[in-house]
Amino acid sequence: MTDGRAPPPGPGLGVIGRRQPRLDGFDKVSGRSVFADDIELPGMLHGRILRSPHARARIVRLDTTKARALPGVKAVVTNGDAPDLVFSERQPLLAKGFVHYVGEEVAAVAATDPFIADEALRLIEVEYEPLPAVTSLRRALQPDAPLVHEWAAGNVAVTHDRDFGDPDAAFAESDLVITDEFRSPVQHNTLAEFHVAIADFSNPDKLHVWTPTQSAPMYQMALAKAFGLESSQVRIVYGNVGGAFTGRGRAKPHHFVAALLSRVAARPVKIKATADEEFIMFRGSGETLYRFRTGVTRDGRIRALELDVTFDAGAHAEWAMILWLPALYPNWLYRFEGLRYRGRFVYTNTVPKGSNHGGIMGRMSAGWMQHLTRVAEELGLDPAEFHRRNAIEAGDHARDGSDFGSCGLKECIDRVVERSGWQVKYGRLPPYRGIGIGIGAQASGGKNASNDTSAAMVKIADDGRVTLFTGIPDLGQGSWTVMAMIAAEVLGIEPADVNVVGGDSDIVPFDWGAFSQRGTFMTGNAVKVAAEDARAQLASVAAAALGVQAEDLVFAGGRVHIRGEAPDAPGRSLSFREAVAKAFHGGEGRYVMGRGFFNSPRQSGSMAFSFGAQVAEVEVDPESGAVRVLKVTVAHDLGRALNPLAVEGQLDGQVFSGLSQVLYEECRMDAGQVLNPSRLEYKLPRTWELPEVDYTLVETIDPYGPFGAKEVGEGPIVVTMSAVAAAVANALGEPLPQMPMTPWRLLRVIRHHRRRRARGAPGAAPR
Amino acid sequence: MDAKRETPPAGRSRVLRLVVNGDLHEVLVTPRHTLLDVIRGELGLKGTKEGCTTGSCGVCTVHNDRGEAILSCLTPALEWDGESITTIEGLESGGRLAPIQQAFVEHHAVQCGYCTPGVIMSAQAILNATPEPAEADINDGLAGVICRCTGHIKVKEAVRNAWRYAGGAGPAPGGSHD
Ligand code: FES
Ligand code: FES
Repeated sequence: MTDGRAPPPGPGLGVIGRRQPRLDGFDKVSGRSVFADDIELPGMLHGRILRSPHARARIVRLDTTKARALPGVKAVVTNGDAPDLVFSERQPLLAKGFVHYVGEEVAAVAATDPFIADEALRLIEVEYEPLPAVTSLRRALQPDAPLVHEWAAGNVAVTHDRDFGDPDAAFAESDLVITDEFRSPVQHNTLAEFHVAIADFSNPDKLHVWTPTQSAPMYQMALAKAFGLESSQVRIVYGNVGGAFTGRGRAKPHHFVAALLSRVAARPVKIKATADEEFIMFRGSGETLYRFRTGVTRDGRIRALELDVTFDAGAHAEWAMILWLPALYPNWLYRFEGLRYRGRFVYTNTVPKGSNHGGIMGRMSAGWMQHLTRVAEELGLDPAEFHRRNAIEAGDHARDGSDFGSCGLKECIDRVVERSGWQVKYGRLPPYRGIGIGIGAQASGGKNASNDTSAAMVKIADDGRVTLFTGIPDLGQGSWTVMAMIAAEVLGIEPADVNVVGGDSDIVPFDWGAFSQRGTFMTGNAVKVAAEDARAQLASVAAAALGVQAEDLVFAGGRVHIRGEAPDAPGRSLSFREAVAKAFHGGEGRYVMGRGFFNSPRQSGSMAFSFGAQVAEVEVDPESGAVRVLKVTVAHDLGRALNPLAVEGQLDGQVFSGLSQVLYEECRMDAGQVLNPSRLEYKLPRTWELPEVDYTLVETIDPYGPFGAKEVGEGPIVVTMSAVAAAVANALGEPLPQMPMTPWRLLRVIRHHRRRRARGAPGAAPR
Repeated sequence: MDAKRETPPAGRSRVLRLVVNGDLHEVLVTPRHTLLDVIRGELGLKGTKEGCTTGSCGVCTVHNDRGEAILSCLTPALEWDGESITTIEGLESGGRLAPIQQAFVEHHAVQCGYCTPGVIMSAQAILNATPEPAEADINDGLAGVICRCTGHIKVKEAVRNAWRYAGGAGPAPGGSHD
């Protein structure tokens, strides 16, 4: 592959910067890793959920008599069994008199085997009276649309309006103002591990839930609130998580239903999504409409920005918290005078929506970067130069209050321009070949959705082996391995000598979890503090033994030695194990345990931001409309690559998912039903559709990150989506107003061009 | 919707004789049990994962006695009476990983790991058919599995480099060879 990708380990660092294979690799490749679906509890029942087949209906009759009578059925629940159980907002856990979307939970059963549970579902009799429904965003916004909830006039659930600077004045002072619209579809998170939860609520004082999650505390709080418990009475076990892609941030109805069934049956209950159910119960991204307006000066400076975003919330605004994000985002990328953001969440009679990989930023950027490319081109400017001219820099203080301790945005732009051959390709490619550039930023955690605390503990056995306790879930990104590397670096030992214990809220110290790209930064800092605490304890013991000051000691290469002397100087150094043994077996009998937590000194927002630029090259087949992505050139300022091998994995996965979302992924909806509820019909790229990927890791060594690191978990996908969309627009000679950019959508544009060319109309050919 | 799904007739249970990873098992199954149900449920071999159960994700891939990839979720268990299959647990020998497994670790071809058993069985099936697979062989052999995390990029790298891990000790950890 390329030489741009692997920076050398940092000076003075022994472990950080090393290409470290994941420490749980053996278990994962040999089939030993245990996922929630692999757990069998004694007496475990199998739960199934009866879901609404209607987008909106009144429940006329609901009769569970026959189901209850079926041998093997141990629990049947409807709203009558838990009338006060509210899942979120004003949403009852089980439908109360009415259903508001296809897939809504109406009743549930638990039985001794899944076949009996299926049979019991079939025996539940429900009579519905269908009601007029609103199943698309456009329809919901029409003045005569039926109301999804009578309390929400115009079907508007929540709005968020925010101005920075004086946008009106800034637009008035602009030489050129350009407006574009864009639209993104319903998308699914397509998790490898389907939705699954095992709940054991046999003891009413303790609810145990085995389930994949991005945030155990969020699940604990939600379940505790619903069932009248304290958070600590809810235990979440989340050992191995089969991917998340923003799809496991909040507990979903099946978690609550499993708990309810378990309480009723007084036995553990497992609920796992069956084939198409995975596409019915999901909380992916909803349809979204965007209007972008940008005012620039003739010399290519951005003065004013306007973003107007309308989200389909589905039948309940479960995820209204994503509404404020697009208001902040431009502050992290560009300098400008004024920004206006108008965001609204709109109810429809469809499954409540959440987010997909890349969050709202990814899909918005697929449109916004096409728009900004057009702005640059209208000015006669190279878009790469346009982005660069307006890019923020380290030391900037943004209008949303963000400060940038490190910022490699311009360097990222320069690297991808250089490595992609942008200068010789942009504007010079043959017809139906395109090249596009996108840029992006991502916060590493932040106090917007939570107080953002992470904590960690370290214990050291007298044989010198270290156990690290962390609440950060490893969703596949390799967090546990990188946390072991951080602890190992601090203690001067090998990552393989660190045993990571995670994934059980009864055991690990508090950690908000793996969302908002906070893991490496917040948890990494907490682990560093905990390891330093342990090291300080060892250092005082070792210093006494060696007759020096603790500050004079260096922990490296598995030894504790005196700074400036040979690491193995006889009588003047100790092995790590000897130091630990001296602590434990010495007079003090000290058992070394380090603890630490990390929280930002800021009152709000984030301490660090990563930045990236990418160039995508595509080829469009004018006969079929199919797009082939030939190459993606990536540069990402991630502060420092703690484990370059895992970083590459993150980049690969995000390039894959980014191009997939822009080109392929769409839940085709009809009357609130997903028409393509399987991976055969919901397209993802296959092995032969992968582009060449060229990586450059830009290391700006953030002043606050652990060893200078920032995020790399979601920043890159936002940029991939931008670059691929801009490249397709470039190949066709005009922005595409909608994603995914499927063959038939492209063919419509191509045929339109051909008709215009045949009539001799100007400007209709791709360059 | 679940409510409308017909539950297949239970049928009569029969004894299935199946060799898995060299061990003979006799289990009582009904006509509606898939091979995957038997592997995970009756035999408790949880390495093979269950995803879509409809042939669209590949995480349930195992081998038949010719070392070819089979989607165990799609095939009724009783059709395998008297047959011999290999699951992910059968790839290693004496606790030592097979070269393809070692290659997956070293090349970071595994992230969340949920697809990994199925992807590795698919990859091994490629190598069983063609010890030195061309790009097209790898693409075809992995076409039926979806690895959401890795985008298949390092998976393909691991398959190309698996030969380097034959005979135990492989190259330096975290190595990249192309
Ligand atoms: S479980 Fe998905 S193909 Fe078998
Ligand atoms: S490693 Fe997660 S899907 Fe393949």
